Amino acid sequence: MLETFYYETDRNVRGTLVFVALVSVYTAFIVALFPSIEAAGVDIDQVVEAYPEAVRQAMGVQSMSTIEGFLATQIYTFIWVLLMGLYFAYRSAGLVADDVERDRMDLLLSLPISRSRLVLEKFASVLVPIVALNVGVGAVIYAVGFAIGESIDLLDMTMVHLLSIPYLLACAGIGLVLSTAVDRADVAQRVAIGIVFALYLVETIAASTDGFEPLQYVSPTHYYDPTAILLEESYAYGDTLVLLAVTALLVVAAQFVFQRRDI
Amino acid sequence: MASIEVTDLTKEYGDLVAVDSLSFSVEEGEVFGYLGPNGAGKTTTIRTILGLLAPTSGTVSVLGTDVRDEDALVETKRRIGYLPATLGFDEDVTGNRVLDYHASLKGDPRRSELVDTFTPPLDRPIREYSTGNEQMLGLIQAFMHDPDLVIMDEPTSGLDPLKQEQFNEFVDAERERGTTIFFSSHVLSEVRRVCDRVAILRDGQLVALEDVESLLEKGGKRVRVRTPDDVATAVEGLDGAVDVVELEDGVQFTYVGEYNALLEHLTNYDVFDIDISEPPLEDVFMHYYGADATTAVRDAEGIDA
Repeated sequence: MLETFYYETDRNVRGTLVFVALVSVYTAFIVALFPSIEAAGVDIDQVVEAYPEAVRQAMGVQSMSTIEGFLATQIYTFIWVLLMGLYFAYRSAGLVADDVERDRMDLLLSLPISRSRLVLEKFASVLVPIVALNVGVGAVIYAVGFAIGESIDLLDMTMVHLLSIPYLLACAGIGLVLSTAVDRADVAQRVAIGIVFALYLVETIAASTDGFEPLQYVSPTHYYDPTAILLEESYAYGDTLVLLAVTALLVVAAQFVFQRRDI
Repeated sequence: MASIEVTDLTKEYGDLVAVDSLSFSVEEGEVFGYLGPNGAGKTTTIRTILGLLAPTSGTVSVLGTDVRDEDALVETKRRIGYLPATLGFDEDVTGNRVLDYHASLKGDPRRSELVDTFTPPLDRPIREYSTGNEQMLGLIQAFMHDPDLVIMDEPTSGLDPLKQEQFNEFVDAERERGTTIFFSSHVLSEVRRVCDRVAILRDGQLVALEDVESLLEKGGKRVRVRTPDDVATAVEGLDGAVDVVELEDGVQFTYVGEYNALLEHLTNYDVFDIDISEPPLEDVFMHYYGADATTAVRDAEGIDA
């Protein structure tokens, strides 16, 4: 049980640690900038008000003058929703396709493990960097916030990270399906990035364009709203369930595709 | 019960027929050579046996399991070892880590014994391995769970002659243990050295399936006669002499007839020296490939040369 999961996790330990460290340093740096922005005395909210609705929607901006509003925009909407979404889609798009492309898959499948189980365990191994990222970077952000004299609500912080996990898993799920369907890892990865980015744009544009509102529901970004969590303390558990269901569906689809193909 | 049973197997990729209504079986405990030039369909057959490819038509069963029944095949794979033609290991991990992973899925009762035999640098990351060392690691993982059947795709490519001899001895010892071994090759001499039976594949079709001895028997004997006389033309009148080559000091030919007739015939000449030996398997191979022999042999020897 879980041999492949352990193996994948084990061999990625160093990579995961470096990744979490890099994102931590970057986010710590951004959070540390907050006092100087605040001190500059510019009424940033007024500037933000002047942005078109679509831009505000894309950036997740509601208020930049509080630490929560600042984090929601600068860290969670940009880094978590967009960059990390892209990253995990990219990463899991390599999970299967890379092994197929580099002739590792036939050796793996000579082992007594079913194809669907192999896909599931490889996918599960992505959960480790996702959780590590949320725990590690979450703690760093909280600590830096504390250090600059801003108190961030611990529950909100916890929720913004916790609820991002299903979102990132859904993005990874998109990558996984491509990984099983496409032979070349780089193609799978580029397409995965393209799809996640396109969905992000679709949601952004559809949400603020008359007549296109229903389109926003196709994007996973619609179901994770860090701004609402941090500023309004609204935790949309229903949306989280949608993301988990979509993830499960994507994994099943990937297993289905992978079971029926020639290696 | 046969270890591998292939019946009317056809595998098509679109218009390309990789394997064409192939039938053969590998008996328990034998070393079975699967011979043919590159592109003949050897790897396609092996991948079908392992359930990696779905047959277009026909059936394949391995250790009694239909390869299309995935659940059953997963269980059966505990008793199968596999050495692919192109070894894919994760480059960033050590040999030991790979073996640990494989062991966690299929067990490793023979691991330490095999590690002593093949000695790859198990503590080093695989990216530092030479081709030979990767192959050694591949052999260890293929045999470490003490499988009943081991399938090897071109196992000796990338091995130096010393390692190759070690491999041959290893296969002999495995045969003694009762392990069934199926291996593909385009190196004829190695098949001859270690196999009990040989199947020869050409363009996806089986052209011969025989034990090595009768394969050689059909190939006749190579006769080399040293003589001052001009025998080349005379030999052509001898029944059963083919492929006559005139040498500087005599003649060489392949002889498939009676020895008495040959000796009688030779008494007409002044013979300095005579050498009767088994023909190289390459010649036998040519016999099966007929008109396209030259191409086939060039293909067979070309890629890994």
